[in-house]
Amino acid sequence: MDSESPTLTLGPTAERRPARGGLALTPGEDLLGFVGSYLGRALLFLITGTSVLAVLLILFFVVARSIPFFRDFGIGEFLTSQSWRPTADEPTFGALTLIVGSLYVSIAALLFAVPVGILAAVFLSDIVSWKIRDIVKPVVEILAAIPSVAYGFFAVLVLAPWMQSQFGFSTGTNALNASVILAVMALPTIISVAEDAISALGRELREASYSLGATRLETMVKVVIPAAHSGIIAAVVLGMMRAIGETMVVWMASGNATQIPHPWWDLSQSIRTMTATIAGEMGEAPEGMPHRSALFAVGVVLLLMTFVLNIVSEYFLSRARKATGKS
Amino acid sequence: MNLGVRRTLDRVFTGLAGASIVLLTLVLIAVLGPMVYRGSSAVLFQGTVEFRKMQRDLFRRADRTALAAEIAETDQARQVVYEMIDRFRKGIDIEAMSSEARQINREYGRELRHNDASADEYTEAREVARTIRDLLQEAFRSQDIELIRRNVAEVLARKDEARFTGTVAERYFVMAADFLEAAEHIDLSHYHDYLVALDEVEVILFGSIERPGLLGPRPNQAARPLAMSSYGATRWDQAQALLDRLLWAERWVEQEPGQPLVKQRSPRAELFHDTALEPLFTYVPQNLNEMLRPRFTVYWQFFLDDNFDSHYFGGVGPELLGTLLITVLGMLFVIPLGVISAAYLVECASEGPAMRILRMSINTLAGVPSIVFGLFGLAFFVLFLFPKLGFEPKACILAASLTLAVLTLPVMIRASEEAIRTVPRSYKEGSLALGASKFRTFVIVTFPAALPGILTGVILSLSRIAGETAPILFTGAVSMGPIPKSIFDPTRTLSYGSYDMAVGDRLAMMVPHNQYGMVVTLILLILVLNALAVVLRSRVFKKLKGH
Amino acid sequence: MEKLLIIAVVLSLVTGMAVQAETLQIDGSTTVGPIADAFAEYFKKVYPDLDITVKKTGSGDGAAALVDGRCDIATMSRFMKDKEFKDAVANNVVPVAHVVAIDGVCVVVHPSNPVSALTRAQIRDIYAGKITNWSHVGGPSLPIVVISRDTSSGTYETFESLVMAKQAMGSGVEYVNANPQAHARVKTTQGAIGYVGIGFLDKDVKAVKVDQVAPSRQTIVTGVYPVARPLFLFTNGYPKLGSVVHKFCTFYLTEKGQELVEAKGFIPLTAY
Repeated sequence: MDSESPTLTLGPTAERRPARGGLALTPGEDLLGFVGSYLGRALLFLITGTSVLAVLLILFFVVARSIPFFRDFGIGEFLTSQSWRPTADEPTFGALTLIVGSLYVSIAALLFAVPVGILAAVFLSDIVSWKIRDIVKPVVEILAAIPSVAYGFFAVLVLAPWMQSQFGFSTGTNALNASVILAVMALPTIISVAEDAISALGRELREASYSLGATRLETMVKVVIPAAHSGIIAAVVLGMMRAIGETMVVWMASGNATQIPHPWWDLSQSIRTMTATIAGEMGEAPEGMPHRSALFAVGVVLLLMTFVLNIVSEYFLSRARKATGKS
Repeated sequence: MNLGVRRTLDRVFTGLAGASIVLLTLVLIAVLGPMVYRGSSAVLFQGTVEFRKMQRDLFRRADRTALAAEIAETDQARQVVYEMIDRFRKGIDIEAMSSEARQINREYGRELRHNDASADEYTEAREVARTIRDLLQEAFRSQDIELIRRNVAEVLARKDEARFTGTVAERYFVMAADFLEAAEHIDLSHYHDYLVALDEVEVILFGSIERPGLLGPRPNQAARPLAMSSYGATRWDQAQALLDRLLWAERWVEQEPGQPLVKQRSPRAELFHDTALEPLFTYVPQNLNEMLRPRFTVYWQFFLDDNFDSHYFGGVGPELLGTLLITVLGMLFVIPLGVISAAYLVECASEGPAMRILRMSINTLAGVPSIVFGLFGLAFFVLFLFPKLGFEPKACILAASLTLAVLTLPVMIRASEEAIRTVPRSYKEGSLALGASKFRTFVIVTFPAALPGILTGVILSLSRIAGETAPILFTGAVSMGPIPKSIFDPTRTLSYGSYDMAVGDRLAMMVPHNQYGMVVTLILLILVLNALAVVLRSRVFKKLKGH
Repeated sequence: MEKLLIIAVVLSLVTGMAVQAETLQIDGSTTVGPIADAFAEYFKKVYPDLDITVKKTGSGDGAAALVDGRCDIATMSRFMKDKEFKDAVANNVVPVAHVVAIDGVCVVVHPSNPVSALTRAQIRDIYAGKITNWSHVGGPSLPIVVISRDTSSGTYETFESLVMAKQAMGSGVEYVNANPQAHARVKTTQGAIGYVGIGFLDKDVKAVKVDQVAPSRQTIVTGVYPVARPLFLFTNGYPKLGSVVHKFCTFYLTEKGQELVEAKGFIPLTAY
C-alpha cells in the first residue's frame, strides 16, 4: 500500500479543520484538494526532509571532523596498535584497546541481560494475566526512564565499594561493574522488543503445542522461542546497540584503563571503551589538534559498528515481520 | 521423559521467569532506594537553630521573634563552652598571655596619666606594674612549677594594694590566678601539644574558613567569606558526625609490621585529662540539644530556592525551571517533527533501498556518543545557524533544546513509525473506502490508533531530553547564572547540575544530601512528566471509545 | 504546525521583553570553576544588575570559547598551547593570562597505608607500571591500584610533566574524570594511590610526602613542594580598566578574593 499513488485530496482546508467533519467527501474540498494536494505533500516532505537532514548532518559532522586524522595518520596503526597516548609529545593513537573494550563490556552485558530479558519477556507475554502485566510493565519502563547520571552514581558510590568488599577485587570500577549497569540499561529495550516478538506469534502455535500435551516450558523452548527467534535476535542486537552507545555510565563505572584484560575472561579488570574516551577527552582536547580529530575517528568506528549492528537487526526484524505475517 | 520431571522442569521455568521480574524489581529498588533515601533528606531532616538562622539570613524566611528568643536560649547554653575554652586557652596560650600582660601594663600607664597622679606616685606605680609584668612573663615561659608558684605568689601579694583597686591592673591578678590553676593541672612540657589539640577542638566546634563547625563561628569572631562556614551544623545528622569527631580522636596505628594500619579511636577527653577543658567533653554531648535545638523540618522550598556556595545551602529552583523549559521546548520540536516525518516515511514515501539506507542511518545515531551531539549543536546551531538567522551566537536554551531534539528525533521517528505501521490495514482501508482522503484517514483513523505507541516514543524521548548532560554542556547549560529571561539565555539544569556537583567542587562533597536531592528531583520530574503522558494516553483512549 | 506558530509568537514576545543587562560570561576548566563560582557569587551580591554565567566545559573548550568570542573570561588549569595562541591571534584575539591562585597536586593513598613518603622516581615507577605492589616501597603486600585523572585534564598534564618526566603511564592505570572521583576511589580502595588538588585532602585520604616534602600552603606557594601549578584566567587583551572584566580578573588581589580562594581549597598567591 505504500506504493499506492495519492488519489485523494490533501489540501489546506483539510489541514485546518481535521477531525471535526464527517468522513464524507464534499465537492468543494475535492476541487481545492487537487491544487493543495501537491502543496501539502511538498510541505510534509519539507518537514520530513528537515528532520532527516538534521539527523544526517550529525553523521556528516562526525565523518568530516575525522578526515584530518585519517589523512595524517592513516588507518593501519589506528586499528591495530594498543598504545593510546594522545597527549604525549610524540602522540600515538592506537584504538584497538578501546574497540575491544567497547565490544567486551557490551557482550558481557548481554550475557547478563539476555537470559533475564527473555525470561522476563516470556513472563510478561505468556505467564501472567493482563492485570499483573499492567502492574509489572511500569517497573521496566521506570528502569528505562532513570537518567544515566543516576546509574553512574550508583555504579561508583554503591556498586564499586560493594564489589571490592564482597569479592575482594582490587578495584571496584571494572568491566564487571560496567557490564552489570549496562545490562540493566539494556534490559528495557530487550524486554520490550522480545515481548513484542513473542506475543506477536499469536495463539494458534501455542494452542497447537498445548493440545499435544506439551508443558509451558516445552511450548516456550521448542515452539514459541524458535518461531520468534528473529525478533529475539533483533532485541539482542538492539540491546547491544544501547550498550555500545552508552557514555556517561561506562565513563564512571569501567575504570578507563587502556588495557585488554589478561586473561581475557577476567572481568575484575578495568577497561576503557570508545564512548568513554570520547566523552572524557573531548572537552579538553584543543581545537585543531590531531587529538581532537582522532576522537572523531573513534566516533566513526563507533558509527560503523552501530551501522553493522543495525543492518543485522533490520534483517532479523524484517524476517520476524514476514514470519508473523505468514502465520 | 517422565511426567513428574517435566512438570518439575516446567515449574522451575515458571519460577525462573517470575524470578527475573523479581530481580528487575530488586534492581530498581537497589538503584533508586539509596538515592531516594539520601535525596529525601534534602527535604526532610532534623533542622537545627543554625538552619533557621541561615534561612533567615540567606532567604529572608523566619519567624523573627520566636527565632530571636530561641537564639538567646541557645547562646546561653553555648556560653559555658566559650568560657571553658577561654579559660583553658588562658592557661596555655603563652603568646596571647604575654601580649595581654604587656597590654595591661600600657593601659595602666595611660590610666595613671589620665588620673593626674603625681610624678612620684606615677613612677613608683609604673615600676611595680612593670615588675608584675616581668614576673608573669617569666612564669608564662617557664616549665618549672616551683618558679611559677613563686612568681604568681609574689604577684598576688600585691593584689590588695590600694593603687591597683579599680584599675585595669586588677586583670593582672585574675590572669595570674587563672594561670596558676591551669599550670597546676597540666603537664608544662606539653604546652605545644595542648595548643595543637585545642586548635583542633576549636575548628570542630567553631569551624574554619574552609569548613563549618558544630556551633558556627563565635559571636565576636570575624565574618567568614563564605556562607558555608558562617553557620554551625544546620542539620542534626551533621551535628552528630561533628560531635563524634569532637569526642573521638582517630588514629591509624600499626599493629603488625608490614600490614595495613588499623583505625583506632580514643576519647579526645583523654588528651585533656585533668585540665579545665575536660568537662567540655561531657557538657557538649549532654547539652547539644539545648545548643542546637533540632526540630523536624520539611524544607519543601528546596524545589524553589536558589543555592549558595555551589549548592552547599539552598535548593534547586532555577535548575528545575531550566530543565522544564528545555524539556518542554525540546518536546515541542521533537513531537511534531518526529510524528510528521514518521507519517511521511510510512504513508507517502515508497519503500526501496534508498528508504532502507535512510532508516538505518537514522538508527545508527544510537551509537553516537551524546557529547558529539553537544559539539554538533555548538558548531551547527550556535556558531553556524544563529548568526544566519540574526541571533547572537551564544549558548542558550533554544540551542540546547534544538540539540536535544536532534538527539531524540531518531527515537521519536522510530517509535512513531512502528506505531503507525502496526495500525491494522483494515482500519485504513475502511476509511479510504468510505471516500476519506488519505490525509483525513491519517488524522481520523491512523493517528488515534497509533497514539499509544507514539506516546511511548514521547515517554522515551522525554526521559532522554530531561536527563542528558553532555549535549547541553556546550549548547546551553551553565553551572552558575541568573534565571533565564528568554529562550536566548543559557540556563542551569538538573542534569548538568548533578554532573557539576559530582565532578567540580570540594564543597559539594560535604553535602551529599543536596547532591542526591538534585538527582532525585530529576528522577521525580521525569517520572511526573511520564505519568502525565500516561494519563494523557488513557484520556485519549476514553475519548476514542466515546466516539 | 499550530504548535510551532504558537512557539514563534511566544518567542517573539519573550525576546521582545528581555532587557539587555550587562553580562559577564566565564567558560573553561572544571578545576578553576569553583573559584569562578565563588567570585561570581560575590559579584552577584555587589553588582545586582550584572548577569554572570559560569560554565565548566574544560580548559580546551575555554580557550576555544575565548577565540570564538563566546566568553569574556576563559578559566584554564594549564597555560594556552601554541596552537591555541596562533588560532587566537588569527582571530584578532590576544590572550592575556592572569594567575588567580596556585593549586598543589597531592599524591594520596588510603589512610591505612603505612607508606607516608615516596620519591618522585618511585611514584613514576608506580604509574609506569614497574612497581605493582606496595611491598616494593616499604608497605604491606598489597597490589597497587593506580588512579589517574583523565589524560586531557590540566591536573594530569601537571602530574605528567612534573612527576612522570614524559614517561608514559602504564596500561593498568585507571582514569577518573574529576578530583571528587579520585578522592572517592582512594578513600574506598585499600591499595589505591591517586592524586588530587590540595583542597580535597581530608581525614579519609592520606597525603604522602613527595621527595620528603609534605604538601602545605607554605611548601606549595614557595615552590618547595614539587607538584604544583598556577591556575589562570585568560582575557582578550588586558581588560579595560574599571570594566567588570577588569574587576573580576583583579579580584583575587583583594583580601576578600584571597579568602574566597582559600575557602574553596586553593592557595592564594600572596599572604594576607
